[in-house]
Amino acid sequence: MRVAFKTLGCRLNQYETDALAAQFREQGYEVSEQEEGADVVVVNTCTVTNQSNQKSRHVISHAGKVNPTAKMVITGCMTESHADQLHQKFPGATIINNQAKSGIFQSVDALLKTGNPVLSNKDFDLFSYQSFTEMFHTRSLVKIQDGCDNFCTFCIIPFVRGRAVSRPANQVLQNVREVVAKGAKEIVLTGVNISRYDHQGLKFSGLLDQILNVEGDFRVRISSIEPDRFDDHFFSLVGHPKLAPHLHLCLQSGSDRILLQMRRMYTVSEFMSIVDRVRARDPRFNFTTDVIVGFPGETEEEFEETMDVARRVGFGHMHIFKYSVRKNTRAERMPHHIPDAVKTDRSQRMHALAEELKAAYRAPFDQTEQRVLVEKWADGKASGYNDYYVPMVFDSDNKKRNRFEQVVARVQDFEE
Amino acid sequence: MRKRSFNLHKIIEKRDLTPSTFVLRMERNGLEFVAGQHIQVGPPNGIHTREYSIYSAPGDKDLEILVREVETGLVTPALKKLKPEDGVVINDAVGYFTLPGDLAEEQPLLFVASGTGISPFHSFVKDRPALNYRLLHGVRYASEAYEREDYAEGRYVACTSQDAGGDFKGRVTDYLRQNPVNPDTLCYLCGNCDMIHEVFDILEEQGVKSDNIFTEVYF
Ligand SMILES: Cc1cc2nc3c(=O)[nH]c(=O)nc-3n(C[C@H](O)[C@H](O)[C@H](O)COP(=O)(O)OP(=O)(O)OC[C@H]3O[C@@H](n4cnc5c(N)ncnc54)[C@H](O)[C@@H]3O)c2cc1C
Ligand code: SF4
Repeated sequence: MRVAFKTLGCRLNQYETDALAAQFREQGYEVSEQEEGADVVVVNTCTVTNQSNQKSRHVISHAGKVNPTAKMVITGCMTESHADQLHQKFPGATIINNQAKSGIFQSVDALLKTGNPVLSNKDFDLFSYQSFTEMFHTRSLVKIQDGCDNFCTFCIIPFVRGRAVSRPANQVLQNVREVVAKGAKEIVLTGVNISRYDHQGLKFSGLLDQILNVEGDFRVRISSIEPDRFDDHFFSLVGHPKLAPHLHLCLQSGSDRILLQMRRMYTVSEFMSIVDRVRARDPRFNFTTDVIVGFPGETEEEFEETMDVARRVGFGHMHIFKYSVRKNTRAERMPHHIPDAVKTDRSQRMHALAEELKAAYRAPFDQTEQRVLVEKWADGKASGYNDYYVPMVFDSDNKKRNRFEQVVARVQDFEE
Repeated sequence: MRKRSFNLHKIIEKRDLTPSTFVLRMERNGLEFVAGQHIQVGPPNGIHTREYSIYSAPGDKDLEILVREVETGLVTPALKKLKPEDGVVINDAVGYFTLPGDLAEEQPLLFVASGTGISPFHSFVKDRPALNYRLLHGVRYASEAYEREDYAEGRYVACTSQDAGGDFKGRVTDYLRQNPVNPDTLCYLCGNCDMIHEVFDILEEQGVKSDNIFTEVYF
């Protein structure tokens, strides 16, 4: 039996897909990311922007066309926000919401054996995914948290992922030990809002400290994080040999007024203070980020403030989102929505700046000695990310993946 | 995953404070919260809900919210029409606009509210009457000094912009410029975004660290 997985959206979705795929493989299924020849296609959808909805629908339709005989299973955040629409558009599909996602194996197994999916929440919770290494990615994702109570005014995630819940620290540590024992070299901590990690008084920094103290040859990468809960303990961990010097720290806007309108819980100066304190310990530390351009009421000056913060930080990479209305969020009801042409123009200018900043950040790494975690090998070239999350490439006869190599390497696609 | 589930709560009382502002007292139905958190509330037969800070204290038997009708709005005109015995839908309390659990009794606190932004402070003070606070309430008229008798003598300052019947004639920002705060004050700002933005800057100029300023933006 073969199961194909299609995944959209965030790292957490990737984590959940990888964990499910590992479970299917362990139970004797073949797993792949190609729908051709599959008995079941599982689409793990995303609803964070309107574009994500469109992409999710497209992936489902496309899979149905490529392989019309495969059974279709749809899960993920769109099943929370657009359940009725999915039922209507894909009447033959089995729809499994986020809560029941970790029980998909049982559902699909029953679907294939009896023709009926068993949809039960009883034995599954948000964290009952098994640990795994090397499914569709070299990095081993570890889920530490789910849900969000921040309710930023533009965001739909708190409605589809539910309340903030932290995974017990002992479970996280056990998961880390298991994947390290299975050979994982990079562990990525994921969740919806990991800066709010709080399990019986243990905060994110405390958990991170314990993870860094797990024995083994691996590095820890913190995935996307909100800049609102950094304590002194965190800064003391910067420079730890196991902590990858990279944060995806979500800025969203460089204007304090817009940050308030977004109900973000930090100011520009607090954001900059995190950057400065971290860079004081490691001047090359890589900051990547998300920004929204054209939020309701954003003036040209406020947009320029975001450009200015981007220049001051020198982001290594930026995800740029043109503001798009999400139904039933507070931002939908705000006055002064920005015309699409203005949003497009701002987005293009931000993209141009982002490219410039990325090139400037990466240049000093070119042709220097770096520790690279090899993810791919082709035609005598090995490639992967260095500790700073810069993609590097070097000549090598060693085809083995998932190994560290200390080597003089080039920045991938580097243009002088 | 624990999603916010909506429950029906019966209205016990509706207290009109001004022609446009009222307190809805509702059955608690076991709802747990920390002072300063908010809930989503909506009329029983509609699909729309809005956020409201909880006005009552965690130790109170019933649950209260303070609402000002926005005439052009969708939910507040409907809430205003409700009467005792009607129901409203409410979900779990969430939010981080709360006081630290380990707050020292003498810690100076500044609460700055515009309009119904006074609601979480009402909950704070009812929950912990011994707090060492000063509450600045920005309103247009003295008649909008909602239930000022609930605050201890000398701690509540109505800043009225349109009449002289309050404790201070002018906006909260004017008051703050004339009466600077001690930099070690913990400051909580709630209500209108523009007020919060301006007050934040003034407090920073007066030496308050941004880590010690907490905000809850209503609109
Ligand atoms: C965390 C949080 C807590 C809140 N707590 C309270 C509370 O305790 N009491 C309370 O009355 N409101 C509170 N609000 C505001 C409330 O959620 C609604 O926005 C408000 O009641 C208007 O709802 P509506 O459906 O009538 O108007 P909508 O149909 O939503 O339209 C409102 C329009 O008017 C503007 N607007 C919103 N509120 C006001 C206002 N008070 N005065 C003038 N214009 C406004 C909005 O920007 C919008 O453009 C809170 C908001 C948040 C985010
Ligand atoms: S922190 Fe804000 S942007 Fe991030 S998931 Fe929560 S509500 Fe959405």
